[in-house]
Amino acid sequence: MTMRVLTAVLRTVRDSRRLATGLVILALMVLLALFSPLIVHAIGNGHDPLELAAYEKWLVPSGDHILGTDQFGRDVLAMVVSAMSVSLQIGAIAGVISTVVGVIVAFVAGYKGGWVDGVLSTFTGILLVIPTFPLLIALSAYAKNVSLFRVGVMISIFSWPFAAKTIRSQVLSLRSRPYVDLARVSKARDLEIIGTELLPNLLPFIGVGFASSALGAIFGLVGLEVIGLGPGGVIDLGQIIFNAINTGALTLGAWPMFVVPIVLLTLLFAALNMVNIGLEEVYNPRLRGVAGE
Amino acid sequence: MTATAPPAEAVEITAKSAARSGLRAWLSRHPLAAYALRRFGLYLVELWGALTVAFFFFRLIPGDPVRTLIQTLQQNYIYNQQASTEVIARYQHEFGLDGNIFTQYLKYMNKLILHGDLGPSLINYPTPAQNVILHSLPWTIGLLGISAVLAWVLGIIIGAVAGWRRGKAGSAIITNLSIALSHVPFFFVALILVYIFAYTLGMLPARSAYDSNISPGLSLDFIGSVLKYGLLPGLSIVVIGAFGWILSTRMLMVPVLGEDYLTYAEAKGLKPWRILTRYALRNCYLPQVTAFGISLGFIFNGNVLVEQLFNYPGLGTTLVTAIQQLDFNTILGVTDMAIFSVLTAVLLLDLLLPLLDPRVKYWK
Repeated sequence: MTMRVLTAVLRTVRDSRRLATGLVILALMVLLALFSPLIVHAIGNGHDPLELAAYEKWLVPSGDHILGTDQFGRDVLAMVVSAMSVSLQIGAIAGVISTVVGVIVAFVAGYKGGWVDGVLSTFTGILLVIPTFPLLIALSAYAKNVSLFRVGVMISIFSWPFAAKTIRSQVLSLRSRPYVDLARVSKARDLEIIGTELLPNLLPFIGVGFASSALGAIFGLVGLEVIGLGPGGVIDLGQIIFNAINTGALTLGAWPMFVVPIVLLTLLFAALNMVNIGLEEVYNPRLRGVAGE
Repeated sequence: MTATAPPAEAVEITAKSAARSGLRAWLSRHPLAAYALRRFGLYLVELWGALTVAFFFFRLIPGDPVRTLIQTLQQNYIYNQQASTEVIARYQHEFGLDGNIFTQYLKYMNKLILHGDLGPSLINYPTPAQNVILHSLPWTIGLLGISAVLAWVLGIIIGAVAGWRRGKAGSAIITNLSIALSHVPFFFVALILVYIFAYTLGMLPARSAYDSNISPGLSLDFIGSVLKYGLLPGLSIVVIGAFGWILSTRMLMVPVLGEDYLTYAEAKGLKPWRILTRYALRNCYLPQVTAFGISLGFIFNGNVLVEQLFNYPGLGTTLVTAIQQLDFNTILGVTDMAIFSVLTAVLLLDLLLPLLDPRVKYWK
């Protein structure tokens, strides 16, 4: 079974240039995040570049500080690198939780059908129409000084219904395929059918669900931070943008403080979007060439 | 036979008399009416469910608006230090916070549905929350509505041309740009625009909705000022919004381009523009109108940030202020309004689609 899943993944990546590009950008960013402690250490050259008053404040970009320093004299490059790692971790945590919950709900609803499906789908639909942002802001107002993992869990509460909806529609279309009926007739157990017949074919949609949830979570946290309501103790890219707006970096001409986080996040969103569209193209041949090749 | 939704009383009556065979027979002869009834029932269930989830969500979050209010009163007027239990009880009653959570819930729903009353607001005590919301609504609808429509029209036009000329140089650039930028938050662009036009060049204002030296009214000065102040926030919404519509228009159109009827239209010698609008784009109109209707309901998610950044006196800014001061009635009111608008938009589209598109099956 694992072999089948692996070959499915490899075939998918080989088939789409866009998907490959998105994954390469993501991989590079993840590498950067993994090595962020080392990079920060190297920038500090023996002491901590993220300490308050480590250097002069508001230094302009130069050879010593490629992106300058902030209002507390911290090195902006070191801040940005470690903040990006935080943003990616939040995306990964929330993405995994939403996808797992979404997959379970979608399978139970789509595979069992009947009133179970009716109840679950109606509930998912109800959660989908509640605007998440006000709820998220309200929730975070009480989440002072929570750990990074808890923030991820908090955000995933709001992003699983979307994943569930995407995957459920696919389960429904696959459920009625002849080979699934064949498996049923041959007395295969439900779990067996799900594992060997359905899961490999659903992988791209699970991938889309994951990428969308991760994107939503990262954006959600950035949004909270930018209006100054983010959970304390978690410094992500949004927090740096918030600091830039609030300390007057806009008027002081300290552009790296908000331009670099914005560029990084844009690159991240672009990569996740390429993965999404790439996966859709691979599994929906009619869309191929939509890319303009 | 039109598929307009019957009033709520009619639904109750049908529920009671559904057992009567006459109605059953009538419904089976009129699948469209049966569909409309079922769809409207689902709408009521979803509306009730979403409002309920939102209510309990906000009630279960810790925080005491009454204490906040009394603290504010103490800070503003010399109020006696010890708020008497009587005063607290009166405020709790006024904010609908007395009794256990279920009686609170029943009271809240009763007031909301029968009187459209959300209770008093905190940020503007004692103005009712619905008035606070209505006061900031025109700014949001004006700025966001106009920007959203502009983004949609631009997106469809550019997307159609890019799809039509696929394989040509410009088209690939536009498409790849859209893929890269369609999910970028509005306020990123807003920030960059503010930095360039407001701080570096000093050309355009960066805060508020109009020049405070001009009194609001129907004068040319005031309208000009509103346009000038709305330009940057509006532009940031239009630019990113358009990319999303470009992408979806292309996705809808490209699969059609190889079809025989297009070749036939070309062979007939029709002008390219006519083929594009009448034949190739034919399949995009309905889904794009549907998507637009749904997207209007979700205007809160990204635009709160844009409004906050520009200090625009719209719903987003009101919402953030309300949250900072624990003004539950206002927060819940904004949330309820968003829920109502999304669900109603989807309902209307679902009821209209079978009438407009013969391919939509309604007797699922």
